[in-house]
Amino acid sequence: MQYSEQERIGHVVRRLSVGAHGSLLHAFSSTDDAIADALDLTGPAAPLPDFPIPDDADDARAREVLAEMIAGWVEAMRWPDQRLLERLTWFWHDHFAVSARKVPFHNLMWGHLLTLRSHATARFDDLLRAMATDPAMLLYLDGANNHIDAVNENYAREVMELHTLGTGNYTQADVAEAARALTGWVVAVPGRRSLPDRVEPWSSVFVHQRHDDGAKTFLGVEGRHTLDDVISILLDQPATPRFVAAKLHQHLVGLPPDATEVDRLAGALARDWQILDLVEAIVGGPAFVSDDAIRSKVRSPLERLVSIAQGFRPPDEALPSDTAIALARLGYIPLAPPNPAGHPEGAVLMGPYELTHALDLLAAIPDAPEVSVEEAFAGLGISDVTRATQLTVEAAAPADRVPLAASSPEFALT
Amino acid sequence: MSASMGHGVSRRRFLWGLGMSVTAVACTNGTTITTFGSTTTTSPTTTTPPPGTLGARNGRTLVIVELGGGNDGLNTVVPHADPAYRALRPDLGIDDPLDLDGEIGLHPSLARLAERYEKGQMAIVEGVGVPNPSLSHFESMDRWWTADGGAEGSGWLGRWLDGTVGFEDPTAAVSIGPGPSRALLGTGSYSVAIQGADGLTPDVPGWIDDADELMASWRGFVPALQGDVGPVAEVRTAIEATLEAKEDLGVLLGDETGRPGRPLPGFADQLEVAATLATSSAPPSILFVHGAGDFDTHQRQDTRHAELLGEVDGAIGDFLDTIEAAGRLDDVTLMTTSEFGRRAGENGDGTDHGTAAPNLLLGGGVAGGRHGQSPSLTALDSSGNLRHTVDFRSVYASVLSQWLEADDEEILGGSWEQLGLFA
Repeated sequence: MQYSEQERIGHVVRRLSVGAHGSLLHAFSSTDDAIADALDLTGPAAPLPDFPIPDDADDARAREVLAEMIAGWVEAMRWPDQRLLERLTWFWHDHFAVSARKVPFHNLMWGHLLTLRSHATARFDDLLRAMATDPAMLLYLDGANNHIDAVNENYAREVMELHTLGTGNYTQADVAEAARALTGWVVAVPGRRSLPDRVEPWSSVFVHQRHDDGAKTFLGVEGRHTLDDVISILLDQPATPRFVAAKLHQHLVGLPPDATEVDRLAGALARDWQILDLVEAIVGGPAFVSDDAIRSKVRSPLERLVSIAQGFRPPDEALPSDTAIALARLGYIPLAPPNPAGHPEGAVLMGPYELTHALDLLAAIPDAPEVSVEEAFAGLGISDVTRATQLTVEAAAPADRVPLAASSPEFALT
Repeated sequence: MSASMGHGVSRRRFLWGLGMSVTAVACTNGTTITTFGSTTTTSPTTTTPPPGTLGARNGRTLVIVELGGGNDGLNTVVPHADPAYRALRPDLGIDDPLDLDGEIGLHPSLARLAERYEKGQMAIVEGVGVPNPSLSHFESMDRWWTADGGAEGSGWLGRWLDGTVGFEDPTAAVSIGPGPSRALLGTGSYSVAIQGADGLTPDVPGWIDDADELMASWRGFVPALQGDVGPVAEVRTAIEATLEAKEDLGVLLGDETGRPGRPLPGFADQLEVAATLATSSAPPSILFVHGAGDFDTHQRQDTRHAELLGEVDGAIGDFLDTIEAAGRLDDVTLMTTSEFGRRAGENGDGTDHGTAAPNLLLGGGVAGGRHGQSPSLTALDSSGNLRHTVDFRSVYASVLSQWLEADDEEILGGSWEQLGLFA
């Protein structure tokens, strides 16, 4: 398949932001131009709404707030500047998955998102450390239940399997030893724990009496390890930058890197742990704008929604929380991934239920868009259109042009 | 086209189905149980089994009816001969259960189920529960849906779909309710979710006139002759499968389809749709009905539970009558599940989250009578909860191997005791 330069530009924009940003595509003259613009993070970041800190655990439970948070986050993804910030925040949300299903305190979920976002384009080592004591993470992977008398291995296992090393690079003995080192952390949920004075409500707190202070051997390193030591040892493992680099490559390119490329990317990341160094290495690699990469991924419900809103919702009209409900109906809920490995991807996003209810996402458009066939495709960032799709949309009533373009095989892929 | 999105009830029920309910959090009503339960959220451990490796469709239908919110087992199957029952339930105890055998009886709202029991068409599995229960709706539902693990958080029936039909047979399993059920979520298969009799129909915004007509235009995306390979060809196949599933369901559901503007179907409507599909020319193997109401009876349990069970009795009674009239009673098994029972002792005019509870299985193929073991009403755990006597995966293992004739050990990731639930 030979794609036009315009479709390649669209590919670059889609992969380095959430959504197609159809209206931006004409601004770029080449893929290099589009890449340079995506990597330029000097513009203003999208504003996010504020949510009040609740007084106690019961106040923190309003589910309406969760729908507002999801809509507020999706709204930020429409923003034309710092698009890479939104893409990487989403990637890290999927990588360090926590879910409101298990963490019922909306403020902790929002705080988790803000922490991810503050590190998303900065340093991976800082991000990993921030996640290790993030209150939502402590609750989601049971770190807050992990104490000397009852060791809980959940976070110890997942931090290696999902966040750093990947499977095959540690043993069950490492899991058990890391879990001991990680003991002692709790979350100061107001009204749920009696806490020492001067503890900030909703913060994560180290309680020495709950910590196992004994000697441990973790990944071959002996010592009276603490949480900090576990993270340092994980960052010293060659598997960590390789695992993270390969995963981000797969995410941005849609293809797995070969072994040589993994070496190069891991080197770029581990040099200073700068996430942008890794991104630059990936987009500068041979695969990023290759024909094989273009339209190689199934467009997720979130990417569909954001693309539709970018193309056809007035920018000054914030997304209604109904759009969060539409995502929820598709089982694809920001802040509520189904499990610690994150959101589903690939063919399962193209089942009969998923394709049918992808039409629900048109709720992002307030009124029937009055556009030409060309504008319908352009608004969704689709440049190369097959004849079958062109004829199908041309034959439709004007009000059905955007819904049909948004149902096309071209739009199903990204 | 279907009901509008702004419908208050639909939103609430829908969020409930996803566990995004305000009441559906750990530890409500001021109990002292730890908030963050002992269950763990696990990551992928196994790979997707290829289609055809774990079994095949065998012509039978399994209908799961989920009583969401935590149904009170003690007032559903009442241990009326045990003096401890009255001590635990001085106000909320059932005075006039429909006695089954001198020991236990059904709630008086369950008259039609009692008739089926007398005919040997209802199996009661007593004392079913999850190990180390957390009492959280979220975690408990997750555990029932996934059977405690599996590839990428897939559902227990999703894994059955992965290992039997794969992507090739999207109407092998149909969930009926506010949205798709995670129990049917596989990593190598599709299932179809419908809200009611209008079948596979999107919830489009008001400015789209006719969603069915819009979807009919999708045929144009699937030209008869095409040279594409790779992802685009896969999308075309998926679009074609969607249109076929929509059409198949339309045919199976008959002229029930396309009633615009009605409210979201209630539980009785959902089971009526299930009956239509189960007696159709191509009955699905799995029907998952998950809009059966809110059994989270912290308050006013007396009247609310009677109403809820009355609805269950009527809907399941009608369902079985329809199945029987169509001559499929021996080919269909309906099983009720709930994420947990209620606390053994009452609390004011309601009951708190609890643990073990019975599963009910109905149909011509079941081994009628009592199975499992009644949980002790005196040897409660430190929170005042019943100690379960049957692991919930034993029930799943029995249904998978004896009814669906599938490889229960692969699907459940372990070996669980087989209960003789089928005749």
